[in-house]
Amino acid sequence: MATLRFNSLTGTLEKNPTSFFSSNPRLCWAYFQCNNKGERRASRMTVKAMGAAKYKGTQMREKKLTEMIEKKVTEAKQVCEGDETSEECKVAWDEVEEVSQAKADLRLRLEIEKKDPLESFCQENPETEECRIYED
Amino acid sequence: MAVCPVYTTQSLNSTCSISTPSKTHFSSHHNHLVFYRTSKRTSKRGGSSSCVITCSAGDSQTVVIGLAADSGCGKSTFMRRLTSVFGGAAEPPKGGNPDSNTLISDMTTVICLDDYHSLDRTGRKEKGVTALDPRANDFDLMYEQVKALKSGIAVDKPIYNHVTGLLDPPELIKPPKILVIEGLHPMFDERVRDLLDFSIYLDISNEVKFAWKIQRDMAERGHSLESIKASIEARKPDFDAFIDPQKQYADAVIEVLPTQLIPDDNEGKVLRVRLIMKEGVEHFSPVYLFDEGSTISWIPCGRKLTCSYPGIKFSYGPDTYFGHEVSVLEMDGQFDRLDELIYVESHLSNLSTKFYGEVTQQMLKHADFPGSNNGTGLFQTIVGLKIRDLYEQITAIKTAAPLQATKA
Repeated sequence: MATLRFNSLTGTLEKNPTSFFSSNPRLCWAYFQCNNKGERRASRMTVKAMGAAKYKGTQMREKKLTEMIEKKVTEAKQVCEGDETSEECKVAWDEVEEVSQAKADLRLRLEIEKKDPLESFCQENPETEECRIYED
Repeated sequence: MAVCPVYTTQSLNSTCSISTPSKTHFSSHHNHLVFYRTSKRTSKRGGSSSCVITCSAGDSQTVVIGLAADSGCGKSTFMRRLTSVFGGAAEPPKGGNPDSNTLISDMTTVICLDDYHSLDRTGRKEKGVTALDPRANDFDLMYEQVKALKSGIAVDKPIYNHVTGLLDPPELIKPPKILVIEGLHPMFDERVRDLLDFSIYLDISNEVKFAWKIQRDMAERGHSLESIKASIEARKPDFDAFIDPQKQYADAVIEVLPTQLIPDDNEGKVLRVRLIMKEGVEHFSPVYLFDEGSTISWIPCGRKLTCSYPGIKFSYGPDTYFGHEVSVLEMDGQFDRLDELIYVESHLSNLSTKFYGEVTQQMLKHADFPGSNNGTGLFQTIVGLKIRDLYEQITAIKTAAPLQATKA
């Protein structure tokens, strides 16, 4: 727990947050008198570890989306070779955008929320294939 | 049609209107309005002088917010900041379809409009339409369901699965206090537009979009600079035809542009962000700098505040946007330290904060979200506070009127 103190020129304000993780080292250093450098580094490491998939189902989704991105980019390039303004070409690149965004959303969820999206589903259905704990 | 007894009430800020629950409307910002005592609809600084007499069938009316963005839905940082202002974290519905796009917190439910796709991925390929095309979306269903939720009726909403590209079996959505509909077409259909109590459009310029998509996709196998560029170019005609025109209807537009502080910067790291706020929107008072309605250019860095490169520059002033009167607050540059943020906050007015430093506190709470050190995070946070203010005003009117009526 770090003490947050900042001074504004129109007054002073003090606040004690209960926890603060920052992936931006500059942010942490500038805002906090981080008492223990070792502690700060350790907590950032914990954050990184939690950003990975926990359940097999999520790992499978990640893999599928990665493969789909590659496949659909190749498809789009082929389709657009003839006519770049054709409907088929537009649709093909739109699909690429859709799966790219889906993958990014999944990654964001794992990194920022630090919770596997299958968490609540797997609590109700722990015996399914998807809910096997993923071991690296 | 419900029988609505007419009361003459003088509510908090002397606004009164007459409404019946099931009828259609005249104003695009009101739920239902049959007629006014006075004809003045727009509210100036001193408050409007129209009369409100609410006849509510209980407290079932939900406040509906529309957010137009091209960045997928439900998981964006804007939504997280917004739900955080109300307290609590938004999570997918527990125990349901794990690929659901919906987010639910105590006060808010965020619905992804992709769920109203009438064509799944295969269907769109066959018909040759992109997801941006209105032909791929069922606006009738969207309107019916948003209307139902707004009147306090739960709905079975379809789920569009972004992984499989298929339409999954529906999930039950119960009417929340605040419903946010996020996606490509919240303001496209006029009927849906009229249900919105407040609407926001996230307008990302092409250069910034390109820079962001590079950051998003470059690590992916299969993507290259060319493929990212080709994808943006191919979607552009549909985007310009169907999505972009919605910004004229928005109550607030957050425009993200490359910075002007660094010549030839194309990394998209330092941003110039403009918050375009429509004047005369009910329950919404635009944020201003120093003197409302005047034109200001402000560089906070100087003797009192030292900023690092490239610094911060603000401007504020009235303008017109698609024929509407607007106020524009603009920030160019980056926050590097906390005291810059609090210094800026202390000079802005009409923020709808509940205590000094609330904007800064909210920004700090999500310091790891993208945009936390520039205008995107700042203006998203401010819009979140404005929505909270709007919600409180609307619910205060609804609860005040019947109470006052019983006194009369």
